[in-house]
Amino acid sequence: MKSLRYLVLNSLLLVLMMTSLSVSSVSACVGKTLVVGALDDPQQQVLAEMLSVLISERTGTTVKVVPIKGHAEAHDAMIRAELDMYIEYTGVGQVTILKDQPIADSDELYKAVKERYNQELNLIWLKPFGFSDARYAPEGTVAVAAPVVRKDTLKKFPALARLINKLGGAIDDSTMKELEVASAAGNPRDVARKFLKEKRFI
Amino acid sequence: MLTLTSIRLLFFVATTFVLASCTLGAPSLKLKDDVIENTVTWSGEVWIDGIVTVKKSGHLIIEPGTRILFAPRDVDGDGIGDAELLVEGSLTARGTARDPIIFTSAADQPKPADWKYLYLDFARDVELDYIVSEYAYSGLQVHFCRARVTNSIFRYNVDGLRFSTVNLFAAGNRMHDNQHGLRYEERGSEAIIHHNDIQDNEIGIFVVTRSTDRAQIKENNITGNRQYNVKLGWQQPGDVTLPNNWWGSLAPDAVEETFLDRKIDVSLGHVSAPEPLTGPVKVSDWQKHEGATP
Repeated sequence: MKSLRYLVLNSLLLVLMMTSLSVSSVSACVGKTLVVGALDDPQQQVLAEMLSVLISERTGTTVKVVPIKGHAEAHDAMIRAELDMYIEYTGVGQVTILKDQPIADSDELYKAVKERYNQELNLIWLKPFGFSDARYAPEGTVAVAAPVVRKDTLKKFPALARLINKLGGAIDDSTMKELEVASAAGNPRDVARKFLKEKRFI
Repeated sequence: MLTLTSIRLLFFVATTFVLASCTLGAPSLKLKDDVIENTVTWSGEVWIDGIVTVKKSGHLIIEPGTRILFAPRDVDGDGIGDAELLVEGSLTARGTARDPIIFTSAADQPKPADWKYLYLDFARDVELDYIVSEYAYSGLQVHFCRARVTNSIFRYNVDGLRFSTVNLFAAGNRMHDNQHGLRYEERGSEAIIHHNDIQDNEIGIFVVTRSTDRAQIKENNITGNRQYNVKLGWQQPGDVTLPNNWWGSLAPDAVEETFLDRKIDVSLGHVSAPEPLTGPVKVSDWQKHEGATP
């Protein structure tokens, strides 16, 4: 009888073996997705989508836009490498993030924040878009908007800075207002894509 | 107590079940991070919730009519599903016109990038005939190997068919409703791509970078792609020549308007379409042309 039981067990084991495959962990090459932060604001959203569409359409890299609560949160997320880039304003960078004295001159301010972000934080200010927004300017300073990108990200994607810098000076105050209104009324990604297409960036 | 009769009955049931599994296909085979190192045949329905790898020693044979469903799980939060089928060994997936082999999302409401890709990486031997690959990041990615892809459909993906550094033959395929129908970084590839429909994608052909104009992409229907029929990537300074294709128009200016190249960005190469066809090719006629015999 023991041999019969053995036969039954073997039969059931055979069934299990034939209907399953060996299991072990493997890993495979996974593409990097770039993450762009955007504050809950039509201006931030349309600019973040503009970076996203430009990068994804010209390089094929997948780009994801994620919401962030404020400038300090965005900065912390950059330092923690949870974001690859976001849009910052020179006055905010100088006063709110770096806790430094306001600088009134726009060019001097840009040079100052760019230098300290690079040296102390490994974050790179790329070319300003071409507009400033007083709503974001701490007292005694100005708020010129520019993409800020992690240095590590630029090392992994060496062509990225050159591509994003194509947007440098492309958006003046009045253009930004138009984009903002359209972004608030519709889909920021569609607005961004339309702008890029009309200006032949994509 | 077990009697001899009941033992015989149990053995009969077990044997029948095993035979049914081998010959008719076990329904809903569920896999996670599994490794295939020997010859394995799939049929019926196969669910993948992880990365299934066909190792160098492995040979995966997929029977006509098999449905491979990938779980739409995105653990790393990058917006791209994590499930994939990675082939480093051999893959034979020969469907039929009536019973294609389907690679698709297991989601109730599927969308592009629900799963990662069918990925051929240094694979030993691959033949894909009459497959449908949909709702992936890439319907098929081919790298560093030789592959033959015929009579297949790539749809609703980010990239329909994508390759680099390969010896690829692709004919009789339809790539539609993808972000990019065909995407490649040539990097020395020997690619023959003819008698395919590359239609109704956002971008028909995306030449990302490192193309030295060796890929032979001719006698295809490249029409109706919503943004561009051909787009050169940011780092593609070399020219790309696509002779003898049907572009949906006989007017050269209208055809050139569907290319993103040097005329939009001076740092890019020029896309040329010499000797365009005057009408669409019949995709199903691919076997009468070059490369039909392996």
